[in-house]
Amino acid sequence: MLIKEQALLSFFEKCADGSVGAYSEVIVPILTEGQDGQTRLAPFSKEKTCILDGFRSVDPTKILYYMPREKVLPVETSNKKRIVAGVKACDVKAMQVLDTALAGEDFVDPVYQAWREDTVLISTDCSSTAPTCHCTILGGTPYAESGFDLNLSKLGDSYIIQTGSEKGEAFLKFLEKNADVQKSNDADVKAVQDNRKKMADQVAAQNKDLERSDNYPNLRKDMDKEWPVASETCVGCGACTNICPTCYCLILNDETKAQQFVKVRGYDSCQWHGYARVAGGDSPRPKMSQRFRNRYLCKFLFMQSNFNQLGCTGCGRCTEACAGNIDFRKVVKRIVDGVEMAVVD
Amino acid sequence: MQNPFEVIPAEIYDVKQESPLIRTLSLKPEKPIEFQTGQFMELTIPGVGEAPFTPSTSHFVKDKMDITIMKTGFMTEYVHQAKVGDKVGLRGPFGTNYPLDKFEGKDLLILGGGCGLAPLRSLFLTLLDEVDRYRSITFLAGSKSPKDCIYKDAAAGWKKHPTVKFHRAVDVVPEGEKWDEDVGVVTVLLKKSEIDPANNPAVVCGPPVMMKFGTMDLLKMGYKEENIYLSMEKKMYCGHGQCRHCVMGEYYACKHGPVFPYAQIKDEEAIWE
Ligand code: SF4
Ligand code: SF4
Repeated sequence: MLIKEQALLSFFEKCADGSVGAYSEVIVPILTEGQDGQTRLAPFSKEKTCILDGFRSVDPTKILYYMPREKVLPVETSNKKRIVAGVKACDVKAMQVLDTALAGEDFVDPVYQAWREDTVLISTDCSSTAPTCHCTILGGTPYAESGFDLNLSKLGDSYIIQTGSEKGEAFLKFLEKNADVQKSNDADVKAVQDNRKKMADQVAAQNKDLERSDNYPNLRKDMDKEWPVASETCVGCGACTNICPTCYCLILNDETKAQQFVKVRGYDSCQWHGYARVAGGDSPRPKMSQRFRNRYLCKFLFMQSNFNQLGCTGCGRCTEACAGNIDFRKVVKRIVDGVEMAVVD
Repeated sequence: MQNPFEVIPAEIYDVKQESPLIRTLSLKPEKPIEFQTGQFMELTIPGVGEAPFTPSTSHFVKDKMDITIMKTGFMTEYVHQAKVGDKVGLRGPFGTNYPLDKFEGKDLLILGGGCGLAPLRSLFLTLLDEVDRYRSITFLAGSKSPKDCIYKDAAAGWKKHPTVKFHRAVDVVPEGEKWDEDVGVVTVLLKKSEIDPANNPAVVCGPPVMMKFGTMDLLKMGYKEENIYLSMEKKMYCGHGQCRHCVMGEYYACKHGPVFPYAQIKDEEAIWE
C-alpha cells in the first residue's frame, strides 16, 4: 500500500482537529529552528514543519509512554487514543526493551501499559543520520523490522505502508476510509529495499573507525584503571540517562493528601550520588567513575542478562546530550577492545 | 494484573521505644497480609515517602504486623514521630524468604546485630511457632551498648526456652550501665556454638561490616558458602524490580533477594557496601 505524503498529513490534521474522531492526538517530529534537521516530538500542527522521515528526534519516544512525571496511584488514564508517528528503528527497539522491563511477567506498570494500548505506533525508515547515530554497530538497521503497528518508507512524494500488528491492520483500514490509499507495486518494494541498503551503508560508513568487538564482559573486568580516565570530564548531570530511550529508573514521590494514597513516579539517574545510597548513608558506588561505569555495565551486561536484549540501541543521544562531550561509542571501544583513544570530542 | 504501586492502609496501634534509636511500630492493616519470613514490605509515611522494612513478627500472624525501625535519616525521622492512631501504608510483601524447609531437622545458627535483629526476630518467632521442626536454634545477637539492646522483654523468655540458645553481646558497656552478659563484637559469641558447621545452615543479618566479618568467621569455622544465608540491605526502592536501585550486577536485591545464599552473590561487586 502507498499514500501520498500530503494525503497523510491532511489525515493527521483532520485527526488533530477532531473531524475524523477516533484519534484525538497525533504526535510527530517537528523541525526545530536552525539546527541541522533536528526534530522535537510535539503535537501535529499545520503551522509547523512535520518531518516523518529524516533521523531520530532529539527526545526519545519513551517520554510519550513513560513520562518524566506521572501519577501511578491512583491510576487515572485519559483513555485518549493517540497516534505517534515518525518513530525511528532505534526507538522502536527501545520500546521493546521497555515492554519487557515495564510490562513483563513479574509486574506491569499500569500507566505505561495504558499508553501502549491507547497509542498507534507508526515508524518511519531513516532518510538521513545524526552524527552520533550508530545503530549498525549494535546489530540494528536504520529501518524497523518489527515492533511497529505501521511502518512508512519514503519513496518520492509518497510513503510505502507496511503493517506490523493487528492494531496496525485495523488502523490501515481506518486510514483507507479517511484518506486516499493506493496500491503499491513490486518496483516500489524494490526501490524501498535499495534505499534501506543505502542508509544502512551510510550509518556504517560514518562509524567505520568506531566498529568494535562485542566483548562486553571487558567493561566489567576493568574496575579502576580505564574508567577514571574515560569519565574524567563527566560532571554527573544525568543527561545521558534521562535522554536514553531505554533508561527507566524511577523515583517514587509520596504525594498523599488526606485519606487517599498518591504515588508519583519520576525519572532517576544512576549517575546521581543519592541513587543507590542506603539508610545510614553508605553507597555501593560513591565515586563518579563507578557510577559512570555502572551505566555501561547496565546497558551491555545487566539488561542483556535481565531482558535478553542489549540496553543500547545506538541512537547516539547520550553522546549528543553529554555536558562533558564524552562520546559513548569511543568509551565502549576503548574499554572493550583496549584501544588507546581519546573519548572526548 | 494488580497495580504494583497499590498501597494497603494500616493503622498504628502501638509504638514501643526499644532503644534510643530503635522503635517498633505495631500495625493493623486494613486487610490481612500474607508474607513469608525474610520478605520485606514498603512502608509509606503519608506525604513523606516510602522505605523498605522487614516485618519483625512471625509470618503465622497475618492480621497484624510489627516493624522495627532504626532512626538513620530523613524518612525514619518521621517514623520516629509517628503516634498511635496514625495512618500509614504498606506495599508488598516482596522478595525471597528464609528457606525454612532447608532448616528442618538442622541445628540453625542465627547471627545478627543492630537493626538486623528486626528481620531475625520475625524468623525467630516463626521458628518458635513450629519449634519441633528444627533440632536446635542458636540465636546470637549483638548491640552497641546495653541500652541499645532491643526486644528486652521478650529476650528474658527466649533465654529460658528448652530448644533455644540465646546469647547476647554488647560492643561496649559505658560507665553507669549494667551488663552481665558478653562484651565484644557479636562474632565473639560464635565460640559458644557447638554446632557441626559442615552440615548446618546459618543466617546472618546486620550492618554491612558485621555481615562481612560474620560471614568470613562462619566460613573459617567450616560453614559452607551455600549454607550461609544473608539478608542484603540495598536500596529496595520500589520493591518489585522496576526502579533498578538495588541491582547488584545481574541480581535485583528486591526480587532475587533480599535473602541470598552467600554462594550466589559472593562474586558480585560491593555486596558489603
Ligand atoms: S546508551 Fe546512548 S546510544 Fe545507547 S540507546 Fe541509550 S542514549 Fe542511545
Ligand atoms: S551526560 Fe555526560 S557529563 Fe552528564 S552524567 Fe552522563 S556522561 Fe556524565
